[in-house]
Amino acid sequence: MEITLLRGAAVLLLLAVAAGIAVRKLLLIYRLIRLGSGPVPLAPLGVRLRDLVVQVLAHSKVLRRPASGILHFFIFWGFLVLLSTIVQAFGEAFVPGWTLPVIGAAPWFAFLQDVFIVLVLVGIGIALWLRLAVRPKRLAGQDPVGAYMILGLITGIMVTLLLSRGTAIVLDAPRWAAGAEVSRVVAGWFAGAARGTVGVVAAVSWWAHLLIILYFLTWIPEGKHLHLITLVPNILLRKARPRGALALLDVEHADRLGASRVEHFTWKDNLDVFACMECGRCTEVCPANSTGKELDPRRLHTDLRKQLTKVGPALLAGAGDVPRPALVGEVFSEAFLWQCLTCGACVEECPATNEHIDKIVEMRRHLAMEEARVPETMADALRSLEARGHPFRGAGLARDAWADGVAVKRLPAGERAEWLLWVGCAAALNERNHAPLQALVRLLQAARLDVGILGDEEACTGDPARRMGNEYLFQTLARQNIETLTAYGVTKIVTLCPHCYNTLRHEYPQLGGRYEVWHHTQLLARLIDEGRIRPGGAAASTITFHDPCYLGRHNGEYDAPRRVLGAIPGAKTVEMAQCRERSFCCGAGGGLYWLEDRVGQRVSHVRTSHVAATGAQVVATACPFCMLMLEDAAAATESTARPLDVAELLDRSLAEERH
Amino acid sequence: MEIIVCLKQVVDPELPARDFAIDPATRRQVREGRPLVISTYDENALEVALQLKDRVGGKVTALTLGPQGVAGDAIRLALAMGADEAVAVDDPHGVGLLGVEKARVLTAAIRRIGRFDLVLCGCESADWVERVVGPLLAEALAAACVTFVSRIELRNGALLVRRMADEGFHQLEVRLPAVLSVTSDETNRPRLPKVKDIMTARRKPVQVWPMADLSGTSLDGDAPGVEVRDVALPERTARCEFLPGDAAAQVAALTQRLRDLKLL
Repeated sequence: MEITLLRGAAVLLLLAVAAGIAVRKLLLIYRLIRLGSGPVPLAPLGVRLRDLVVQVLAHSKVLRRPASGILHFFIFWGFLVLLSTIVQAFGEAFVPGWTLPVIGAAPWFAFLQDVFIVLVLVGIGIALWLRLAVRPKRLAGQDPVGAYMILGLITGIMVTLLLSRGTAIVLDAPRWAAGAEVSRVVAGWFAGAARGTVGVVAAVSWWAHLLIILYFLTWIPEGKHLHLITLVPNILLRKARPRGALALLDVEHADRLGASRVEHFTWKDNLDVFACMECGRCTEVCPANSTGKELDPRRLHTDLRKQLTKVGPALLAGAGDVPRPALVGEVFSEAFLWQCLTCGACVEECPATNEHIDKIVEMRRHLAMEEARVPETMADALRSLEARGHPFRGAGLARDAWADGVAVKRLPAGERAEWLLWVGCAAALNERNHAPLQALVRLLQAARLDVGILGDEEACTGDPARRMGNEYLFQTLARQNIETLTAYGVTKIVTLCPHCYNTLRHEYPQLGGRYEVWHHTQLLARLIDEGRIRPGGAAASTITFHDPCYLGRHNGEYDAPRRVLGAIPGAKTVEMAQCRERSFCCGAGGGLYWLEDRVGQRVSHVRTSHVAATGAQVVATACPFCMLMLEDAAAATESTARPLDVAELLDRSLAEERH
Repeated sequence: MEIIVCLKQVVDPELPARDFAIDPATRRQVREGRPLVISTYDENALEVALQLKDRVGGKVTALTLGPQGVAGDAIRLALAMGADEAVAVDDPHGVGLLGVEKARVLTAAIRRIGRFDLVLCGCESADWVERVVGPLLAEALAAACVTFVSRIELRNGALLVRRMADEGFHQLEVRLPAVLSVTSDETNRPRLPKVKDIMTARRKPVQVWPMADLSGTSLDGDAPGVEVRDVALPERTARCEFLPGDAAAQVAALTQRLRDLKLL
């Protein structure tokens, strides 16, 4: 009796110490997160709960990597189920042989627990195999000590648990033993042992089990394992903005533009940083990183965390400024920040739903607006946007040059139309994109759609300026366009350009411009469904579709272009390994169309090699920027697959029919 | 260092060819509805001035001619880039003045601004390419003159300038005051203004001087000596002709044609 009391008191004391250490560390992290500014508007609760179920309980994103996905799934669910054994182990400190009420003594529950002990151990085995034998590149940037530490601790907890259960069966023959198939095997090892010896093993493994758990508790707030605690709030507190929309900045009244110090980010950015488990999936899928560039989306998070933990405490203590390396320029070089294509591959992949693009754009905002330091060719694009409302220096084409000989209504000439065809600079000012535009107009007219254009009165939506960090210029252009659209009473817009589509749809509402916006592939798919466009002919070619980032990942539209292609008789479609959510950027996003891709391999050439791997004769696109990049890359790499817009392909099938 | 930079607003040289038009009455380019920009080399001149100010301190004044309302954008851009003061001469004759006439107005405006060590302007304008304003200003202001300058540096009180030459450059030492016409090189690409400066530039005062108030600017007196009689767009024609006969005959005919055209 006295021994039980003493043991109970000792366990309580240890628990109090361990919990105290953990809470202290967690409180500091909470305060570090709150160093960030807010508020961040939250998404509707339903969406957040859905994400929680799908991404945490069902592991939807983690499972995209089969091996590490399944191992994590085992360990995660093992952790949930085996919480019951942890509670029971603590209970035994006070009442020997104590089990959870109702289920604790049930053989089926013991069976379940045993199953998960095995699954967790299998998970550990897969993890060790991955780290020691497979060695995926994405794990190279991780802190190996922390990773092996946690694997060791979990193994320790499982082994001591099995020993506790096995010896308990030998000593007490509890009711639950009937279901504990695995624990009974362990018990078998002690069959011939003296009762006293088994008692010693039982005591040692029980204490070891408890102590490892308590140490684990104090250690969770360190490094990547914090995600055990931060991931759920990070998903629950996810921001309301659609992925494709960047945050609106009140340029006139903000006391600083963008972020140049770690304390300039929002609290949600900081929570992201502490939710990162350093899995490296973001870096693995990053088109800049995988072509040999400096940008590393994981390092974005780990280095922000390092700086926050380093200078945060002093800032919390009221130090106005703390000496440290400059965030922009030193921690993250300017090259690092300008290499981001804002393609969203990292965001799509992140199991913690972290937002990489927002943080990079915040730092670009600092560079572009506070320091006016922008790579020269991008600066030329910005100057051109300012002077003539489009970013293509030396274009020399009129905005409606493509429409010569096409009967499309001109709203500035006083004509009225139900639909506005938003042309976009990349299409209007680059001759290669004139054919897709003309094809689109022919298709829409074949479907008897009433379409008009703004001609000279259309200006760039501001997408490149915004993504280069010049929010001021973006808002100037957007306000000008909204004024024009209001003046002509435009309500329905169709556009060939996913960048314009994204900006008009998600970003103009931030400034009061609300329209029904369709990407041309969506409208064409609908018109085909309604029977208003009937593809004919037989385009006997193999086509692979390149998903534009701003149509796919940023707007979730993967099917419409495929439906259009699928409707063309005779067209055989093949998919690239990197398609849909896993699509690989053409190299033009994030304003990088205006930056020569000089470091490592060219992103566009790598994309063309993906096309070549399919053996397709045609690479279909649905974006004028992708078109320009893929055309150049096809010429440079002597690829035989021709880039053609989905509208061009559909129009050809109709034209063949007309013959 | 007191620096005055002359900025000319021109119709965007990148204007689509379709939108380029000449008004037959004034024999000048039609500007209405066309985007206006600071003439290319004038921006380089402004950048050179701002860099010198960044290094040695002083004041940069932007000076432009143009009817009221039109001069605004150029002046605001110059202020946003870092010019301290701005003067716009409200010029009722529009923008059709030739270099000789412009130099006269600019001289009067510079005299009214008063003290200066340096006057900078582009080496040529993006529309008329006369290349005379710099030298004429120097003459009128009795200042030293160097043309096609790409870099300037103040060393031990002396102004060192690099003048671009056909195969290299001249390094010259210039006494002040001086008028320099500036050409472009990689060191003087115009900077992007900071957003904060764009917003403060909106509130900076711009002095607008009616041209009539400036002495010695009357254009009625002696003629500028130059008159534009006619301006025309170059005509480009393309012709296609099919040579008759079989391949051998076509080759012979084609060779003869090319010889006639002295292309072979």
